[in-house]
Amino acid sequence: MTTKPQVKRHTTSDRFVHWGSALSIFLLIFSGIGQMPMYKRYMLAELPGMAWSADYGITLRMHYLGAIVLVTVALYHIVLSLRAKRLGLVPQKGDLKESVKIIGAMVTGKPEPPSGKFLAEQRLAYAFIAGTVALLILTGLLKVAKNLPGVSIPYEVMWWNTMLHNIGTGLIIFGIIAHLAAFLLKPNRPLVKSMFTGTVDAEYAHHRHPLWKARPAGK
Amino acid sequence: MTEMSRRGFLKRSLTAGAVGAGILYGLPGGGVAAAGSYVPMGSVIDLTKCDGCKGKKAPLCVSACRTKNADKFPEPEKPIMDYWPQKKHEDWSDKRDLTSRLTPYNWTYVERVTVEIDGEQEEVSVPRRCMHCENPTCMNICPFSAVEQHAEGIVEIHQTSCMGGAKCRDVCPWGIPQRQAGVGPYMDMIPEYLGGGAMFKCDGCVNLVKQGQSPACQTACPKGAITFGPREEMRALAHKRAEEIGGYIYGESENGGTSTFYVSKVPFEKIDAAIRKAKADAKDDKPGRPTMPVNIGNLLDTPNGMALSMLIAPVAGIAAAVVGAAKIMKKGEEE
Repeated sequence: MTTKPQVKRHTTSDRFVHWGSALSIFLLIFSGIGQMPMYKRYMLAELPGMAWSADYGITLRMHYLGAIVLVTVALYHIVLSLRAKRLGLVPQKGDLKESVKIIGAMVTGKPEPPSGKFLAEQRLAYAFIAGTVALLILTGLLKVAKNLPGVSIPYEVMWWNTMLHNIGTGLIIFGIIAHLAAFLLKPNRPLVKSMFTGTVDAEYAHHRHPLWKARPAGK
Repeated sequence: MTEMSRRGFLKRSLTAGAVGAGILYGLPGGGVAAAGSYVPMGSVIDLTKCDGCKGKKAPLCVSACRTKNADKFPEPEKPIMDYWPQKKHEDWSDKRDLTSRLTPYNWTYVERVTVEIDGEQEEVSVPRRCMHCENPTCMNICPFSAVEQHAEGIVEIHQTSCMGGAKCRDVCPWGIPQRQAGVGPYMDMIPEYLGGGAMFKCDGCVNLVKQGQSPACQTACPKGAITFGPREEMRALAHKRAEEIGGYIYGESENGGTSTFYVSKVPFEKIDAAIRKAKADAKDDKPGRPTMPVNIGNLLDTPNGMALSMLIAPVAGIAAAVVGAAKIMKKGEEE
């Protein structure tokens, strides 16, 4: 139990969006790889209790379920962010250059340039993940429409759509690995706790985000 | 005239025009659609007429199909690699002459079974091939969109995009597409670890049909057991014929509807049971000898039901966001 003063970093709503997307994306990646098809070939289905993973009917339903959750969470996030004008994660001019500086500072242990609530690299990472999720959702919805009886979409459109959906899958897996790899760097670690509890140490916030007017936790 | 009905009228006119053009061509089956039209085509396979070309080395529809498609058959690079980490692969290249089942080198065959009708044994010959579904599971489920449904309703696999995962065979109620290892785009990737070959099946002689001609099997049949023409005309013909003989239709409702209507005076449940028994007796569990499960559904029926939730659920997300945003704005919270 920490006794250090805390400031609010992730609201309940932020954590709902993060974990809702994380869990549904995990479900989508697992079931999507099952649709590739991989689990019979690479014998995952032969592990005890995993025979169902080679059943396309099951993994397809899982994929649809994950999609329903992800689309819901994504729309909630977009509408809330726009209406409440919470747009701090939208990338700004010069973010790329500043990210290089911040990551360089993290690796070398030198002081980071002063930041607001979000670091430039966090804004870029957000844009990458959000953009990839948007690509996957849009191409995925077209795939759902195509599956309906009586719906006919030109073959070339579907071919490219499928290609983009598969590329998006590769990009999101890369994005998640990079996102998790960020926590190999010590300065990022306090954020892991915050994604569960919602708060970070006030000292951390002050030190790393000197330009952020953080709200003390519980107020 | 409303927009909808105008569009409906236009569609009907085009369909009628295309059917009319087909009739003008004087082609079999009541008229093959003119080239470039989008009328879905179909066929009737009359099992009361097919005798499996008794006495011939292979049924003529099978021979005609093999000759017509010979240049599309796979030429695998050998030696063919196993499907790592498994110790097997599918190779039919040494069994090209096989005409008694579906293989990458044999896209149609005739299943001969004996069924009992009113205490009497009767032989039934059933030509088998892709039935060209209205909402093809193979096409919808292909992870590389290697399967195309042409405007004519014909379902074709493009081997150039196929990785040979054989998922199309697994989701097809009849397991129609067959796999040949050692061919396809995976050979240019890392064939040791990824990909399994390419899938092959009846392509409905789509190139002929697009030129206003009939598929090779139909033209070759000496008994007139196969009729080819606009799908709706074929459906009507199947019903008329079934009524005449007091028989049954297969393929109209199966997998959500297909473009092939089998007509038989023997119930298809009996034919299905006979095929299963013949396979069991021969201990034949390899793919390529489809059964005839009556009223089999489409794998996508349940997911398609879930698609509606995909439209409804986000409304809840938007509503929650509107309420949540209002609260934040009221409190005047900063990010």
